Amino acid sequence: MTHRRWITVTAAAVACLLVGASAGPAMAADPGLTADTIKIGAFGPRTGRVYMYGELAMNGAELVYRQVNDRGGIHGRKIVYVREDDECKNEGGIAAAKKLIHQHQVFMIHGGGCSNPAIAAREEVESNRVPMFVLDAVADQIAQGARYIFHPGLTSGLESVAQVDFAKAMGAKKIAVVWQNDAWGKGRYEALMAKMKAEGITPVATEEMTVEQNDATAVVLRVQKSGADTVIQELYPKPTAVFVRDALKFGYKPLYISQTAAADLQDLQKQIGIPGALDRFYAISQVRVSLDDPDMEPWRQALQKHFPNDRLSIYTLFGIASAKVVVAALEHAGRDLTRERLVEATNRLCRVETGIYPGPVCFTPDDHHGLDQVAWIRLTGDGKVEFWRGK
Amino acid sequence: MGGLARPLTLLPVLLALAVLAPAVLNPYLRFVVTLFFIYAVVALGLNLLLGYAGQFAFANAAFFGWGAYATSLLQLRLDLPFVLALPLGALLTAGVGALVGLPALRLRGLYLAIVTLAFGEVTYWAMIHWAGLTGGASGLKAPAPDFTALGIPQGLGMYYLCLAMAVLLYAAAWGIVHSRVGRAFVAVRDFEVAAQALSVNLTRAKTAAFVLSAFYAGVAGGLHSATLRFVAPESFDLFQMVLQFAMVVVGGLGSVLGSALGAALVLGLRESLRAAVATQEILFGGLLIVCIVFLPRGLVSLLRWPGSPWIERLHWEPRRRGREVATWPLSP
Amino acid sequence: MFVNLLVSGLANGAVYALVALGLVVVYKATAVVNFAHGEGFMLAGLLAYSLYVLAGLPYGLALPAAVAGACLLGMLTERLAFRPLIRASVVSLVLATTGLSFVLKGIARQVWGGRGSDLAFPPVVAFQPLQIGELILTGQSLVVMGGAVATMLLFLLFFRYTLLGKMMRATAENQRAAALVGIRVERISTITWGVGVALGGVAAVLAAPLTLLYPDMGGPLLIRAFAAALLGGMGSLAGAVLGGLCLGVAENLAGGYVDTSVTEVAPFFLIILVLLLRPQGFLGRPEVVKV
Repeated sequence: MTHRRWITVTAAAVACLLVGASAGPAMAADPGLTADTIKIGAFGPRTGRVYMYGELAMNGAELVYRQVNDRGGIHGRKIVYVREDDECKNEGGIAAAKKLIHQHQVFMIHGGGCSNPAIAAREEVESNRVPMFVLDAVADQIAQGARYIFHPGLTSGLESVAQVDFAKAMGAKKIAVVWQNDAWGKGRYEALMAKMKAEGITPVATEEMTVEQNDATAVVLRVQKSGADTVIQELYPKPTAVFVRDALKFGYKPLYISQTAAADLQDLQKQIGIPGALDRFYAISQVRVSLDDPDMEPWRQALQKHFPNDRLSIYTLFGIASAKVVVAALEHAGRDLTRERLVEATNRLCRVETGIYPGPVCFTPDDHHGLDQVAWIRLTGDGKVEFWRGK
Repeated sequence: MGGLARPLTLLPVLLALAVLAPAVLNPYLRFVVTLFFIYAVVALGLNLLLGYAGQFAFANAAFFGWGAYATSLLQLRLDLPFVLALPLGALLTAGVGALVGLPALRLRGLYLAIVTLAFGEVTYWAMIHWAGLTGGASGLKAPAPDFTALGIPQGLGMYYLCLAMAVLLYAAAWGIVHSRVGRAFVAVRDFEVAAQALSVNLTRAKTAAFVLSAFYAGVAGGLHSATLRFVAPESFDLFQMVLQFAMVVVGGLGSVLGSALGAALVLGLRESLRAAVATQEILFGGLLIVCIVFLPRGLVSLLRWPGSPWIERLHWEPRRRGREVATWPLSP
Repeated sequence: MFVNLLVSGLANGAVYALVALGLVVVYKATAVVNFAHGEGFMLAGLLAYSLYVLAGLPYGLALPAAVAGACLLGMLTERLAFRPLIRASVVSLVLATTGLSFVLKGIARQVWGGRGSDLAFPPVVAFQPLQIGELILTGQSLVVMGGAVATMLLFLLFFRYTLLGKMMRATAENQRAAALVGIRVERISTITWGVGVALGGVAAVLAAPLTLLYPDMGGPLLIRAFAAALLGGMGSLAGAVLGGLCLGVAENLAGGYVDTSVTEVAPFFLIILVLLLRPQGFLGRPEVVKV
């Protein structure tokens, strides 16, 4: 083709683009809302190492939304749930949030599985005045001081403080801290150190592990040498299992104080593979039921039906619980729904019982963190999860 | 001599398109195009190093990160304004590039690859563990230039800034590639021993290639930090390296336009797969393989026909080097 | 402490060594670094899980079956991913195999994902720590080390003394010459890839109780195997083994004596140090470029 032809073709293409793109949909009063639908957007890790916190939790949330739709929706509106992957990266988080808000035009967001992308997306969410409920990310900074963001589940700050209190209650004398130096672990670690400092406690050892680590020999030996009688762990399941297993190899059996990431104790026991490994292991649980609880059976069936590749896990429960809070908030806001009304209603939302979280969820205008209680669990001799109620 | 005359007719049109686009793009798409400008620059830098100079280096993601952190920290710690922090950060990164280029003088091929990869991993580790400086794993809130003085929204301002930088750096690269320096690069890539005989200073050429690619990555990194207003280590990991390689190979090694085409395709793919069912990994990987198998010289090769508006020389000839490889069925 | 760090480092290193060996076997024969090698490792492990844990097959069947699966994967990769790209540049091949690794990871996530977090593989031997002085060994790490050594010995015997092994060596050294003496070079290439990935598969099944199983386990392992192979000298099989062992020990010693935060970066410091002082790796031959 000649030069002229190229210019003509390109100019025509540009013209088409301009015409086509400017003819957008007419904007409703609030986007994502019609007479009979509410569009809820989700972002989180749908692929990669921590996809359980995104994709699997979203599966759980979707089960709740499907159930609500089957019962006629919320004030006559059915929920439309769209998902975007943030790849657990900042860039992905901002892109996903922008896509949900400006392209999908969602009414609200129920998302955030990784800390950094959720924190990165916060500005976009707040400046566009979109109500957001955190899915299962744990960083405090996501909702701290925000106007439009609410955090139904537990946060790292709360858990770390609870860990120190628990250690004291159990009479720990020498505490070692083993943590994962990534965005997730750092939030917990810093809150932990701040609380310990406030209590005048100095750890006898502070050691790091990575999520991929297969061998904890060096870590265990160093902690053991420090003489610690208690180990506070800010680790994912795999490094938790690897540490406990290698500690047993060296005959080291401290008191373990872990948190919600390692709270699937039956799974953890299987991963360690040594009977009695978790005798002195306590973890904070964000869920107060165990997976084989009869109340969970309907969810198991629903999951099998709608997501046959998935299996009921604590991540499903995280999603279910936080979705129940979303539903409660939407119901509380009433039929005459706008984004501002939702925010205002959620600010007054209290005593929401999810049947999964350790306590009722309560928000106030100054505190958007919905839970202030933790539940402690341990594994009994015969492999059952037991809620520890004190000595 | 058709090399330079033709693109000049198409370029103003493309430029006009880019300048007018924000009128019709929603903020999400505008953000994606801004990212495209940034990645087009970093991919171009990598192409200069890998495509033209043939240096199989895995350090570009780290350079990208150096640029992002340098620009942000110069603003945060030394209170420098963005207009100074960006070029200074890029120069700093270029300096690092020169250092990383030193092993290149002794190492080739896979050995160079692993050493530069090791450098990348050490950088990543340092970003996390030197928390006092970098903010560690939770990253930094990065400052961005303030466009309110010009009366335009932040996102729009960054869009035009990135567009301007991309145009500038592409023009510069075009000039470099058609100069002695560019020819020296290709000589190093294709005929290292002969090049020396032709008085090409290998040391200078290799170092220049590293310095240039680091500088480009440094600028792109600084722009990236200002666009996201966030800098964190996970943006500069091995996956970032894979993404950059993909852009350069899919677009066309040894091609200036190819860098942009590759960046556009890879980013476009990533965005369109963002909502796909969790099979997006499979789709992304599959499409990568398809592109490489069916377009071994990259997207740019689609533009090679008589009368095409774009013709570039010094194109990468894909061939296996080093060991003698028989192909089958064997020819007699 | 030292002896425990050393021995557990050797156990970890044995896994790296086997995987690196597989990588170098393929490299020597076909001049390609298979960036999907880690995913071969991962799939072998998950396959063993499905056979041993889910289907309840005895270990003695599950292990060889998983290794055979890995072998098959390697052969398929050679046919479908490598052959079409036989004339391509190094970078294209790297990227193509990387693309393949994404595909395999995605498939693994579809099939084995959705079970919560990492899958547990029961240890083959009951945990009875063996104590010799200050050294403590677990049954499973003995299995890993013993299994790795046995596999490497078997491979050595195969490579040196069987006809197939000799054909592989001939092809690796000079393909034209090999073809001239009547070796079916295409077939050997396919088999070589199969053997390479199978070696990684053995490592996966042996180490599965220790590493746990999840779709993303291949990546970090590939990097370490690649580093180990280059540390030893890319063209050297013994070098790959040596490199792997050194890497495992270096990680542990760094973590024990310097700081636990250094464990993950120690291999890379080692690489930079060694390659700057000795660019061909431990056992590599300096590259002679023919003009």
